[in-house]
Amino acid sequence: MGYTSYFSYGLPSFLIIVVALYLLFTGSGESFNVGRFLEESSPYAWAGTGIGLCIGLSVLGAGWGIFVTGASILGGGVRTPRITTKNLISIIFCEVVAIYGVIMGIVYSSKLSAVDEDLLYTRENYFTGFALFWGGLTVGVCNLLCGVSVGITGSTAALADAADPNLFVKILVVEVFGSILGLFGLIVGLLMTTEAPEFKAAASLATTAARAVVSPFVH
Amino acid sequence: MSICPPFAPFFGFAGVASAMIFSTAGAAFGTSKAGIGIAGLGTFNPELIMKSLIPVVMSGIIAVYGLVVSVLISAQLKPDGYSLFAGFVHLAAGLSCGLTGLAAGYAIGFVGDSCVRAFVKESKVFVSMVLILIFAEVLGLYGLIVALILNTQTVGIEC
Repeated sequence: MGYTSYFSYGLPSFLIIVVALYLLFTGSGESFNVGRFLEESSPYAWAGTGIGLCIGLSVLGAGWGIFVTGASILGGGVRTPRITTKNLISIIFCEVVAIYGVIMGIVYSSKLSAVDEDLLYTRENYFTGFALFWGGLTVGVCNLLCGVSVGITGSTAALADAADPNLFVKILVVEVFGSILGLFGLIVGLLMTTEAPEFKAAASLATTAARAVVSPFVH
Repeated sequence: MSICPPFAPFFGFAGVASAMIFSTAGAAFGTSKAGIGIAGLGTFNPELIMKSLIPVVMSGIIAVYGLVVSVLISAQLKPDGYSLFAGFVHLAAGLSCGLTGLAAGYAIGFVGDSCVRAFVKESKVFVSMVLILIFAEVLGLYGLIVALILNTQTVGIEC
């Protein structure tokens, strides 16, 4: 009934408040430490999550767009079979979004190289881990939104084409405006990671204590 | 506790990501919602389609605002010498541009859809449609201005 909002907003908030007050009143309020969490977590975890989200969300967007457009093309094609070949362009526009995700996944994966855990926690490696996470998330979510938008517009174009063949090219302009969103996501994803060096071991074991392992929370 | 901890770029990158993601969400909503209205208009009167592409173009501009802020912030991110202050200011800049872009795109979508449907019946609606769309677009512009001002405040902190 109306109780789903209680569970989806109320229950998590209640749990968070209970955990926070427990930590506060038992004297371990200092253990809520965002900086400690960011320094303790492995840069590989961030990088891997980013790459997975990049390809996963992009393909989700492409698939969503393809099914929205495809359902309309096939439905409209029952009465007007002439629309079925020309409107495959909309499907290709959605597919391109998945290609963007694949390209960025490959580009990001080239920065992953194995480093021993003692020599891993340098400033540059933290930077690369965060860059790959946020870059992958940006590319993935932008491609997801682009894929859905192109799908809706492609479905609209198919049904307009079924009504009047002259409309197809004009509605295709709207679809082109939708597909540039994925391209912008690709550009920003590339820009974020050009400065990020690939994962490298700290310079030497002698300087590890002084410079490389920059966090008191690691080991 | 240092001024330039190694996790400071996390928040800078979060700013870049939020600028791009939220303005893309606004632009995607505006494009698809207005596109539906334009197709509806086209089945009645195909000559009016070119003039009614204005909401779609304006949604694209919202995405460009997010792109500009993302590019400007990501040019300043580096692994050494990046303060936590700069990280939070970049996060603020990204959120301000992104969330205002989301609002602007949402408004442009609804206004564009309903106005182009009215444009079929009454052609005098066009001027007021453009005026309303400009007011909606300017919301995203305000976020861009605040983001640019915030971005210039990050110089001067030495580690």
